[in-house]
Amino acid sequence: MYDVVVVGGGPAGSAAALRAAKLGAKTIVIERGSEPGAKNVSGAMIRVNDLSMFDVKSLPYEREVSKVRLSFDGVQIEMKPKDKLVNVGRLKLDRWLASQAESAGAVLITKTTVLKVDGRRIVTDRGEIEGERVILAEGANALVSINSGLRRELKPEETVQTVKEVYSLSKDEVNKRLGLGEQEGISVRYLFSNPIPGAGFLYTYKDSIAFGIGVHMRSLISHRVRPQDVLEEVKRSLGINELVKGFSLREYSAKIIPENGFPAWRACSGNLFLTGDALGVVNPITFNGIGPAVISGYIAGELAVNDQCGSYESSLMMERTLSQAIKLRPLVKELLKEENIRAYISMTSDALSSWTSGDLSLDLKANLWRLTKHALLLLEAIS
Amino acid sequence: MKVEEKLYTLRYKRDDEPHLKIKNFDVCSRCEKEYGTPQPCISVCPANVYVWDGTRMVISYENCVECGACKIACPFNNIAWSFPRYGLGMSLRYG
Ligand SMILES: Cc1cc2nc3c(=O)[nH]c(=O)nc-3n(C[C@H](O)[C@H](O)[C@H](O)COP(=O)(O)OP(=O)(O)OC[C@H]3O[C@@H](n4cnc5c(N)ncnc54)[C@H](O)[C@@H]3O)c2cc1C
Ligand code: SF4
Ligand code: SF4
Repeated sequence: MYDVVVVGGGPAGSAAALRAAKLGAKTIVIERGSEPGAKNVSGAMIRVNDLSMFDVKSLPYEREVSKVRLSFDGVQIEMKPKDKLVNVGRLKLDRWLASQAESAGAVLITKTTVLKVDGRRIVTDRGEIEGERVILAEGANALVSINSGLRRELKPEETVQTVKEVYSLSKDEVNKRLGLGEQEGISVRYLFSNPIPGAGFLYTYKDSIAFGIGVHMRSLISHRVRPQDVLEEVKRSLGINELVKGFSLREYSAKIIPENGFPAWRACSGNLFLTGDALGVVNPITFNGIGPAVISGYIAGELAVNDQCGSYESSLMMERTLSQAIKLRPLVKELLKEENIRAYISMTSDALSSWTSGDLSLDLKANLWRLTKHALLLLEAIS
Repeated sequence: MKVEEKLYTLRYKRDDEPHLKIKNFDVCSRCEKEYGTPQPCISVCPANVYVWDGTRMVISYENCVECGACKIACPFNNIAWSFPRYGLGMSLRYG
């Protein structure tokens, strides 16, 4: 009998296991991939502060992000990040997170999928185990959480579909093409409106460049266009093809991002605790999902050990990073409505170019409130 | 580059048991009448797993990148979606 069983060895699961094991609980993590990270996709840019429960001195990051650039319709804004941001590869990151949980005493089992939880019985495709408390850290495709009746499935309007590619050549070429110093990294966020509206992201690994897009699932369905075709069109129109010319495609991947969840979904019931993407705590503007995942996991780890399901939700609401992510959601919903985004992108770029040329047109003044909102969101994205 | 070529960048270990199944093929025909082609599952799948042959939905589950989109997109909840067993399926190097 385990004290705590963690379903999923991603960031949320490893943070939960780290905390529970450190508190002396007999803890096991069950991960379906051949190793932690083998099934996981993301940018990934993380705020090192968010991971402070781990020993970040040994964090295996690719590059430190020295510039954050926002780019839409030819307009670019570049800023230096306030906090320490780094680009990471998920396989290395997730392995490292899991190994820290293991060092704290948690047991990790891989290549095993949890099929359902029935009270203290945890049923996997390799047999059953027993646990007092169960932390569900299954990520966006939270089959066990849904199966347990704790939350429902996402709807297309609450889901972003992403596709991502990693191109590699050499460290020098990455530096040269993006104008970076030895260890320097950049992260670029694009907004595009064709063929459907969406956001693009570019990150730098040591010897490679990652580019991907996120588009709303509802747009894909109503325009009958496939994400891979949107990716190709956007790469062409943003000049990414030229940027990666001569590089070889090292990896193609895809994953959904949940844009709804806690507090509309319950975080806890009986001996079950939901965390990370399974709970729906991604910050929709910054794409920060790993930060909220480890923070919610860490809190769940502690409260599961102490059997305090009752105070889990209020603890989550009180945490700053998490409450910020939750508060942004309604605003984002409004801003990213497909009918708004096209007009919005062109308006903002018009506005910014007339702004820089000193000619603030009347039309712009009428739309100033929207601009202000966007500016706030942009600030949020880089702070 | 075609998606099928891009999928070569992934390491796959095939589960002989399909992890994706259509619950009821008649529902897909109804879906085609209501939504036309490509149907929602086809529109959202980044790995061309679903192919409509004019009368029937054919699934190449071995190509699935496990993104989770199709089960959400299907308006009829007609896809029995699970993970490949024992960690089989695709594995990533970067993520
Ligand atoms: C393209 C893309 C770009 C992103 N960019 C960023 C970014 O730049 N920065 C950032 O912070 N976030 C980013 N995110 C979001 C971030 O990836 C997620 O929010 C984060 O990974 C959530 O962590 P998690 O631990 O909750 O879930 P996951 O990382 O998904 O981990 C869940 C784990 O559980 C395992 N699992 C699932 N079901 C079972 C089961 N039944 N049995 C056993 N194991 C199971 C999975 O294999 C996986 O290892 C991005 C997401 C995408 C898709
Ligand atoms: S969306 Fe669902 S019902 Fe429609 S064709 Fe695809 S699987 Fe069948
Ligand atoms: S999970 Fe993703 S890749 Fe797999 S079949 Fe569904 S949409 Fe396609």
